[in-house]
Amino acid sequence: MNNYQLTITVDDKQVVLERILQVTRYRGFLIDGISADVNTGTNIGTIHLMVKSERPIELLVDQINKLIDIKSVSVDNNT
Amino acid sequence: MNRLKNMASDQKHTGGSLLFAVLQEHGVKHVFGYPGGAIMPIYDALYDSEVEHYLCRHEQGAAFAAVGYARASDKVGVCMATSGPGATNLITGLADALADSIPIVAITGQVPTAAMGSDAFQEIDVFGLSLACTKHSFQVTDINDLASVLHQAFAIALEGRQGPVLVDIPKDIQLAEINCSLDDLSQLPNKVKLPPVDVTNAISLLSKAKKPILYVGGGVGMANAIDELREFCNKTGMPCVSTLKGLGAIDPENENYLGMLGMHGTKASNLAVQESDLLVVVGARFDDRVTGKLDEFAPNAKVIHFDIDTAEINKRRKADAAILGDLKINLPALAIPLSIADWQKRCQQSKADNGWRYDHPGEKIYAPAVLKEISDTMPKNTCVTTDVGQHQMWAAQHMLFNDPSDFLTSGGMGTMGFGLPAAIGAQVSRPTDCVIAVSGDGSFMMNVQELATIKRFQLPVKILLIDNAKLGMVRQWQDLFFNGRLSETDLSDNPDFIMLANAFDIKAKEITKKSEVTAAVAEMLDHDGAYLLKIKIDAEDNVWPLVPPNTANDKMMESI
Ligand SMILES: Cc1ncc(C[n+]2csc(CCOP(=O)(O)OP(=O)(O)O)c2C)c(N)n1
Ligand SMILES: [Mg+2]
Repeated sequence: MNNYQLTITVDDKQVVLERILQVTRYRGFLIDGISADVNTGTNIGTIHLMVKSERPIELLVDQINKLIDIKSVSVDNNT
Repeated sequence: MNRLKNMASDQKHTGGSLLFAVLQEHGVKHVFGYPGGAIMPIYDALYDSEVEHYLCRHEQGAAFAAVGYARASDKVGVCMATSGPGATNLITGLADALADSIPIVAITGQVPTAAMGSDAFQEIDVFGLSLACTKHSFQVTDINDLASVLHQAFAIALEGRQGPVLVDIPKDIQLAEINCSLDDLSQLPNKVKLPPVDVTNAISLLSKAKKPILYVGGGVGMANAIDELREFCNKTGMPCVSTLKGLGAIDPENENYLGMLGMHGTKASNLAVQESDLLVVVGARFDDRVTGKLDEFAPNAKVIHFDIDTAEINKRRKADAAILGDLKINLPALAIPLSIADWQKRCQQSKADNGWRYDHPGEKIYAPAVLKEISDTMPKNTCVTTDVGQHQMWAAQHMLFNDPSDFLTSGGMGTMGFGLPAAIGAQVSRPTDCVIAVSGDGSFMMNVQELATIKRFQLPVKILLIDNAKLGMVRQWQDLFFNGRLSETDLSDNPDFIMLANAFDIKAKEITKKSEVTAAVAEMLDHDGAYLLKIKIDAEDNVWPLVPPNTANDKMMESI
């Protein structure tokens, strides 16, 4: 298992967090931790997601990136 | 969205009437649906609208009709259903549209906002359900957002890799009144941002290749890049193969075209792909039904992958060069002449050596021969839909199409029940073209209620029902891979399909012998209205070739 930490910025739209969680599970990644907050001024949310999987992280990054309300996804570490 | 500016400003609308105004802004003339409590205000607004509604007899039928409507044309398909069971009945159609990247917009009624989350009558969390089976979804909770959400729904359905979008509208929003002009709508920033294309690497791979193969998928038709693809074929002279959804993109007369690849692909296609040293993949995604055992798929080939969806690159097979973006622009950039005469000749020889054979012993009807005969005699621009099973694979193998919008089949999802409602949508979309649904006795019963839609709208849909009194494809697998233990695949007590068709005023005929085929096919094609031709075939007939599951594509079985 590889552990990864993702930072995802989003437009704070309906169920955006649920969409990210659904894609993460469906694509074969387990969630170890999550924190999320929204800047109410800009309506931009930032989500830190700790995941683990046997699968390459690019697979998940590409799929999360496809979600309509996502602004950016980055992998902060690769441990 | 300049056309929006022409709308008269400040019109008085309800949510329901605004919905139809926006649909019309997007050129929607036809919708498929089924009413119910939580969508009644929308149906009330429909009563005054110019949008034509096709009442299907099950919401799944409405969803597939919308899919067929979209696939047969370049329009967006629209379907509507009430909350709860109406919405859940749409789900299979949405899943199908997601798997095959089909642009549809589904409108669902929802219980009033105040009742939401209280387990109200006919309340289901369709928004939650939609997460796994749509490209995107919305729930409208403020009338002021409705028009903008609908515009976004159309934009998202069509942009980049196309797909289904659901808009859930609570009843109070449908009833709410609003004064609005449609010209101040926010534009959706295009989400698809692709890096600039660098073709140098791809050109070098291409010019070095001795045995290149062009592997064409459904993306070509969806990108409207048929001309560019055919030009690419002509310029490069590359031997080419097609996926199920790609059929029709390559000119079927192209001498280098080897047919479909994959589980039920032609021998010439699969052997050539396995031997190739370069795969040029265009709008395709290495689906498991295409690759067989992935590790052994085209084991010596480098890969150039053209797609619009970044997530498909390296998903199942590493690309040596990725060309992301619009095929209409990118294909011409790589269309260079190649010197591959020996390879072309080898592929053409293999195609000639492994051609289909239609000599079939005995009196009984041979379905592949019937499908070939229909393909040879059907009018130009005929649109064929299929259900799922052996008949589907035979249609893919033995019929030729000149455009992917002429062959509508449930590829990614393989959904039985697709054929009849998809044919209805196709016929509404292309009223003057001949539409033929090729169905099986199992699949036909899955949306048989749509015969009532054919009757109501007098749609001249032709139905070829291939009756083996079996769930044939499953029976074939049971015979081959489960020791002939035929568990629950017998349909020998099928209803009288002729009487069934007649009950819906549809002319119908059954044939059982080869000698009857030519006249019966002609009668069906010449008939003015809807027609069902049932052909009785041997329950033991199999689809060949077949690559067994998790096996390399060159190890196909050709008979038992
Ligand atoms: C909705 C759905 N349920 C089950 C299946 C599994 N399945 C695939 S083919 C098939 C048999 C189809 O029978 P029929 O329509 O008679 O076609 P045939 O193979 O006999 O030509 C079944 C049950 C499916 N593809 N879709
Ligand atoms: Mg059957």
